[in-house]
Amino acid sequence: MPDPQPSDDALLRSLAERDLGALAALYDRYGRLAYSLAYRILGESESAEDVVQDAFLSAWRGATGYRRERGNPRAWLLSIVHHRAVDILRRKTTFRPAPLEAAELQPGDEDTAVSAERNVEHKTVRDALEGLPPAQRRTIELAYFGGYTHVELSELMGVPLGTVKGRMRIGLQKMRRVLERTR
Amino acid sequence: MNEHVIDDLDAYALGALTETDAERVAAHIAECSPCRAEAAALAEVVSTLPDAVPSREPSAALRDRLLAAARAGAVVGRRPSPVPWSLGRVRLSRVGLAALVAAVVVLGAVDLDAYRRLDTAASERNDLYATLEGLRQGGRWWYMAGKDAFAGAGGTLVDPRADGYAPFVLFHDLPPVASGKVLTVWLVSPDSTWARAASFHPNGRDLQAVPITMEVSGFDRCAVTLEDSSWGARSGQVVMESRIATAPTPAVP
Repeated sequence: MPDPQPSDDALLRSLAERDLGALAALYDRYGRLAYSLAYRILGESESAEDVVQDAFLSAWRGATGYRRERGNPRAWLLSIVHHRAVDILRRKTTFRPAPLEAAELQPGDEDTAVSAERNVEHKTVRDALEGLPPAQRRTIELAYFGGYTHVELSELMGVPLGTVKGRMRIGLQKMRRVLERTR
Repeated sequence: MNEHVIDDLDAYALGALTETDAERVAAHIAECSPCRAEAAALAEVVSTLPDAVPSREPSAALRDRLLAAARAGAVVGRRPSPVPWSLGRVRLSRVGLAALVAAVVVLGAVDLDAYRRLDTAASERNDLYATLEGLRQGGRWWYMAGKDAFAGAGGTLVDPRADGYAPFVLFHDLPPVASGKVLTVWLVSPDSTWARAASFHPNGRDLQAVPITMEVSGFDRCAVTLEDSSWGARSGQVVMESRIATAPTPAVP
């Protein structure tokens, strides 16, 4: 009897064997998260859906090239989504979304029951991010959600490049420690 | 080995490097185990950031479109359905798209307007492979998945095996390359001789067809490298590759 809840690694192995059921399962597991990320970066649904479809098709085609040592399947998949969304964003030179504070003013559309369950696990990440000093948090948000390069951030924030790198490093290390403690 | 890139790994994980810098970092971590491990750990931290954004539901149709596109890409050699399908604002029948692809790629007629329309069709590009295969029944193809800085990109080597049609590679999603760099397609013989089949620069479009200047038969591997020159022996990093002789296009039931 097949495992009703295959691991992400198992799904990627099945993907590499051209198992469409595995693609469907992977989408059911991460499609909403991937779309939320793409929407957060791009700010509109049509482009966000294109990015998600492209990213999952890319995973479908490229699963044989996936290497676990480069990161877990979730990180790999979301990195594809992120890369594609930011690529589109960077082509739009006149618009960059605001940092997370503004995004949080826009309600999500999750129903209450699902939201309550997911919020338990997602609250940890939000707390870890919100627990950072404002400069570190803003640097990470503008880089990841705003698509700014570290050189652009140096100019935007009026600080040396080394300061931007330092804020990224210290901020991510703090988040890493917080997340490790909660696992 | 190059200098360690620990200073740039955080920006790399956040996607906050230029393409050139990201390529440099990717090339380093491909060879450096400690930096690779650190990059993977940072990637996992960064992959939690999407949990911090408001959750949104994509349309139910997205799942269907995704699976249909994957299915069409998997079922090679099957005759395409004449059912019209959406390409964003443009609606083409699969037969129409097949003709478009044939005009642009298979017959080598590089038409800018057709290429623009192919860009519009980018989200359905997986279907193109099935379409190409349908057009070239009896031909063969092999997919090369991009890696490292070329992750998400790829190329399909198509060997039409028909009079008057030369092999070509249909690339998708190629990132720009640094000034002075050139992408090179190689065919590799069983005795590990690398033969240069084409050199080119990415054109910035979602799809790019590159003709191959030699027969595919007799080689057992194809690869794409990032080179400093469009002539001479291979010296650059392999960004995508595939075995070709011993693993022909699988027949998916």
